[in-house]
Amino acid sequence: MATRPLKRLLYGTLGALGVALTLVALFLLSRTAQDSQEFDRLYVYILLINVAGVLVLFALFVGNLARLFREYRTHVPGSKLKARMVGMFVGLAVVPLLVVFYFSMQFINRGIDTWFNVDVEAGLDDALALSRAALELQMREHLQSTTAIAEHLEQVSYGQIIFELSNLRRQAGASEITLYGRSRQIIATSSDLAAGAVPEAPSDEVLLQIQQARPYVRLFPLQEGRYEIRTAVPMGSRNRPELAGLLQARFPVPERISRMADSVDSSYSDYKLAEYLREPLKRTFTMTLSVVLLLSLLASIYGAFVLTRRMVAPIQDLVAGTRAVAKGDFDMRLPAPSRDEIGFLISSFNDMTQRLSTARRQASLSQALVEAERANLEVILARLSTGVVSLESDLRIRTANQAAGAILNVDLENRVGEYLPEVAKDAPLLEQFVDVARVHLDAGDREWREQIVLRGEVGRRVLTCACTTLPGDEDHDPGFVVVFDDITALLQAQRDAAWGEVARRLAHEIKNPLTPIQLSAERLRRKYLRSMPADEAQILDRATHTIVQQVEAMKEMVNAFSEYARAPDLDINHFDLARLAHEVVDLYRSQETGGIELGLETEPGLPEIEADQGRVRQMLHNLLRNAVEALDGTAGGRIDVHVQRARYLDTDVAEITVADNGPGFNAVALSQVFDPYVTTKPKGTGLGLAIVKKLVEEHAGIIEAENGEDGGAVIRIRLPVSEAAREAIIARMPGRGEKRRERA
Amino acid sequence: MTASPTFRIAAALALLVALGAAALAQDNRERQGYFNVRSADTRLVDGVQVLDARLQLVLSDEALAALNSGVPLIIELRLEVIRMRRFMPDAVDAELDVRYELEYRPLSQRYIVRNLNSADQDSFATLYAALNSLGRIESLPVVDDSILEADARYRMRLQALLSTQQYPAPLRILFFWRDQWQLRSDWFEWRLDR
Repeated sequence: MATRPLKRLLYGTLGALGVALTLVALFLLSRTAQDSQEFDRLYVYILLINVAGVLVLFALFVGNLARLFREYRTHVPGSKLKARMVGMFVGLAVVPLLVVFYFSMQFINRGIDTWFNVDVEAGLDDALALSRAALELQMREHLQSTTAIAEHLEQVSYGQIIFELSNLRRQAGASEITLYGRSRQIIATSSDLAAGAVPEAPSDEVLLQIQQARPYVRLFPLQEGRYEIRTAVPMGSRNRPELAGLLQARFPVPERISRMADSVDSSYSDYKLAEYLREPLKRTFTMTLSVVLLLSLLASIYGAFVLTRRMVAPIQDLVAGTRAVAKGDFDMRLPAPSRDEIGFLISSFNDMTQRLSTARRQASLSQALVEAERANLEVILARLSTGVVSLESDLRIRTANQAAGAILNVDLENRVGEYLPEVAKDAPLLEQFVDVARVHLDAGDREWREQIVLRGEVGRRVLTCACTTLPGDEDHDPGFVVVFDDITALLQAQRDAAWGEVARRLAHEIKNPLTPIQLSAERLRRKYLRSMPADEAQILDRATHTIVQQVEAMKEMVNAFSEYARAPDLDINHFDLARLAHEVVDLYRSQETGGIELGLETEPGLPEIEADQGRVRQMLHNLLRNAVEALDGTAGGRIDVHVQRARYLDTDVAEITVADNGPGFNAVALSQVFDPYVTTKPKGTGLGLAIVKKLVEEHAGIIEAENGEDGGAVIRIRLPVSEAAREAIIARMPGRGEKRRERA
Repeated sequence: MTASPTFRIAAALALLVALGAAALAQDNRERQGYFNVRSADTRLVDGVQVLDARLQLVLSDEALAALNSGVPLIIELRLEVIRMRRFMPDAVDAELDVRYELEYRPLSQRYIVRNLNSADQDSFATLYAALNSLGRIESLPVVDDSILEADARYRMRLQALLSTQQYPAPLRILFFWRDQWQLRSDWFEWRLDR
């Protein structure tokens, strides 16, 4: 977030400003304490700076406290530690400050108070009183002498006054004596000042006193610590009305006494001044110390916040990093703050997360590879025509592919995790498979291989089976894997190929000598039958007839073999299967079939199919002939032919079913009914159904033989209705057409 | 609920500030005192402009208490000779500060008024007499008329105030906050007759 650095910058600037203001204020304070002349100029600035400093620091304090409180309430990582550290630092800073403040206040108050003690104050009061008493004695003496001079002057003639005044002044020790008339005019004056000096006019207070007919005497402070005593008395009795006025005299206080009096006066004034200063001093010092304390406290608290934040920040980073790692985020890197132990811890954390990240990447890579391999393996297994089943050591299914289910005729893929013998209870083929496997497992065979023949409802199935033990690991028991393949079709194909070769050789090796044999027999018959005696001729006739007949029979058999071995290209065209079925069935109906009833049922609207019409016709001929031959000698024989649409491997097929009510197939014949030379009929060559099967497979179709529910044989053919359907079936059948699926 | 240490400290500081403010606060029942220039005029005597003025100087209770406790008071008269200009701000051509010290001497129990400019001093038995004497300015030489521009017009103004600059810092910090020590008259102005 962009606001966080801005806030940090703002707080830092404010903090630096507050501390700078505090330092400046304290500096100015010390300057004003040393030089009071700068007070007026600096005091307002000091005041403003102090106030600004206090406000800034207080704002920072409140802001930091609020932030800490908010973090504490929202349980931000590290907030409790931060609160504890702030409390600790504040305590460490505040307690000594308060102690210093308390003792400073005590020292200041007591120190100032010690300047003033009762003895000094009483001594000064006494000194002042003593000085006053001493001076008042002089003042009284001077007033008496002034009064005496006034009385004496009233006895002197007006003309002698000026002379007498000078004498009397010298005798009294006055510095100046002046006689003022009623209108304050100078009647006579005498002074030891320089000639021409004007005597000082009586002041208002002198006049006021004289007007009240009272003498006046006062101690006058002069410059340079000198004193003089001024006296004035009213003049002009009834006898001398021309002298009505006042006589004012000035008596200098002796210099020694003046100096001492001035010293007492000054000391007393200084003491009073100091006493006056006592409370203001205390207040000022208290206020100054309080301001300094407040600034120091706020600065200390702010410093505690800053210090704590800096100390806790790496720990908060570590907590956040640890949480991120716990959530799986290994890419988090913490800023290394310093080269101390915390820095070492953080760099170690970064190393750890980097290694974890690398390890996870490698693990992910490995896992991806394993997953890819596993996916490939699953695809391969799914596409395999070989069944693969992996089992736990307790025979629970770990994995199974689709082919395994198809071979064993049970959906193993969806029963992973189940106990295999339990699954086998509903699947006869699997049950036989498990029985064989269990024999080996109980015997402790770690690896075994065996060909298994399973007997199902519709025939036998031959499997080649191999089993091996799987390597176990921490999470998995060893278990084992069973790989099996359905080789029924393969064996059948091998048999087909062998019989095809036999047929070809028979056609080639046997057919050729048959004609000479037949011709030779007929020649023997023509040449010797008439010339031989009757009884011998009868023997010859019977023998040659038998030879010719059997040769014909052998020719038919060889022709049939030739037909079986022959494999011309298919002549695919569109035709109506239902109509073809009607034609073939009608042909048999028209022939003498020994009372066998033929039934045909075709699905209405059956579309045309794409196939080799001639071969399909041959299929129907063979099936019907096979059925007719099977019903030979059976009373009430019946053959039912059904032609309909059906679905096979999600593909449209035409289904032809030929069912009879004959003896059906016995159990041994059922599994080999489509093999050449396998027949249950006394006259059969054993090639009819083999040829049908060959023709069906050439069309990528399916032929099945089974016994009907009410007895009799049922042959079912499924033919793809189109070229596309044929290709689809070839693609979906196991073995991709190389191996035709067969149920027999 | 217990208060946090930070809260307690903040509360203590707030209390301290409040107490300090209360201590500095003024008691309104006391006499505030005031200075006032009731009249002032100049006249030309022997080429020198001399001032005659009447001032009303009433000290506040605190100033009075300080005076009686031995604290000398400085009463200052500020005079300014201002040349009036038509299109520009007026210029102060001359300034004169006359400082008087008023002091109580406990031994003689007299109030001394001392002109700090001339070192002349006088003493009075009562404060009233001393202030009355201070408030009666007669023939105080202000400025030599010859130094003023002949064809310029001038005005003068006078202010009386109680100065506290001479006091030690603790007192000045205290006086800074006290109205009773902020005694200062308004400026009194008049045209200078030539």
